[in-house]
Parts: sequence; C-alpha cells; structure tokens
Amino acid sequence: MPSPNFALVLSFLLFSIGILGVLIRRNALIILMCVELMLNAANLNLIAFARHSGTVGGQAFALLVMGLAAAEVAIGLALVVALYRRKETVRVDEIDLLKG
Amino acid sequence: MMHELFATPMGALFTIFGVMSLIGALAMVFSKNAVHSVIGFLFTMLSIAACYLCMEAEFLAMAQVLVYAGGIVVLFLFVVMLVELSKRKDGRANDRGAMAVVLPLVALLAAAFGAVFGGICFARGADQALNLPPDLAQGMDVAGHNAQAISRGLFAGYLLPFEILSVILLVALVGAVVLAKTERV
Repeated sequence: MPSPNFALVLSFLLFSIGILGVLIRRNALIILMCVELMLNAANLNLIAFARHSGTVGGQAFALLVMGLAAAEVAIGLALVVALYRRKETVRVDEIDLLKG
Repeated sequence: MMHELFATPMGALFTIFGVMSLIGALAMVFSKNAVHSVIGFLFTMLSIAACYLCMEAEFLAMAQVLVYAGGIVVLFLFVVMLVELSKRKDGRANDRGAMAVVLPLVALLAAAFGAVFGGICFARGADQALNLPPDLAQGMDVAGHNAQAISRGLFAGYLLPFEILSVILLVALVGAVVLAKTERV
C-alpha cells in the first residue's frame, strides 16, 4: 500500500501542472482542461486521506467533487461555444470585450 | 524513499500510474494541437482512476472512468472539433507520417490485447465456474463493501451536500442549454 505521502506528492505535481497550464496556455479549452486537472488533484488528496484515516467521508466528498466538475465542464464549454459564436476565437487574449 | 515506493505491488502500481498521469498532464499542457491535448487529458484521467484503484477506492475509480472518459472527454472533443478545426485547413502535410507511426502501434496494442484476452477466453477450463484465488476473492469483497460504505457515508452523513449537488447539476444543465443555444431562430 502506498503511504499517503506519495499521493500527496503526486497530487501536488498534478496541481502544479494544472496551474502551469492555466497560466501559460491561451486556448480557453485547454485552460478548462487544466482546471479539471486541478480538481482531480484535490480528489486524489481527499481519497488519500480517506484511506489514511480509515473513514469513508473523503471518498463520498470526492464523489461530490466529481459531480461538481461535470457541471462546471458543461457550463464552461457552453460559455466557450457562445464566445466562439460572438468573437470567432477561443484565445483568451483576444477576448477583450470589457477593455473599453 | 525509492525502495519504499516499490515495497508492495500496490505501491509499485501506484508509482507507475502516477508517473503516467504526470506524463499525460504534461502532454496536455504542452501539445500544440488541441485534440492531442484532449487525448493527454484522457490518458491522465485513466491513470488517476488506476491510482484510485491502488488506494482501495474501487467505486470512485469506476466513477472516474465513466464520468471523465465517458462524458467529459467526449464533450471536450465535440467542442474542439466544433471550434478548432473550422478555421485551420492546412494541417494535411504530415498525415501520412503520423499514420505510419500510429498504425503499427495500434496493431501492436491490438495484438497484445488479443493475446491476453484470447489466452483468458480460450484457455483450458475457461467455460468452467469462476474459482478465484482467496486473495482476489477478498479483493472483490472489499470492492462490494466499498460501494456500500460510500453509499452509507453519502446518504447518511452527507445527504444535504448531495441534494445541493443535484440542484446544482440541474441548474448547470439548464444554464448550458441557455448559453449554447442559437439566438432566436
């Protein structure tokens, strides 16, 4: 059985890659995917602690986070599609409607 | 540190799948083509599901595969196809080269899977009743109890968050339809 430390390190690395992607990519779709990756890293933490403590609350909460992630993707992709209709682009640096 | 990682079979599997998920995540962030990014995302999610399996969260591993590989990745692919490919028509130069790389790989994978499944399905005694070794049978028992334990925790301890999540999903459903529908057809 892996000790929770390894899960924490893996979760940290995945979360960092997610943040890196949000920061360096300009495609809105890939930014959304990176946000999903960060949610998954948090889930990994929850499950690691659930196993470590021998309780099931962490796993139940990870399931809730999964449902929330699905809702978030649906809304995010709908926003991307609406944006593409309006601006013909999904690059976030070309979306400057509020710039004035 | 390293020898502790590979001390148990589960630890070794966890390490391998963890490294695979990191590779997939890096491929997702750094690939130029959005479709390749989605494939990296899929790879990452499946590897994380395997990590859940190594941490005795069998139900969540299955839920991860169903929700991410079955739902979210397909949704992402739809939108990538809708948005990305319509403006870029000049990506035809190295199709043949990619094909030359991908086809042998797919053939190799298919051969490997075929050998494994063929060995399982057509082995001597494959049609007899399933007689699991005791440790594997215990693993399946734990899996059954895992789903039971999660449902008990979810519906006894976290009923209110669960109900709130169901309302959020409904709102997201309606919101996504409203946001993505065409203007006044």
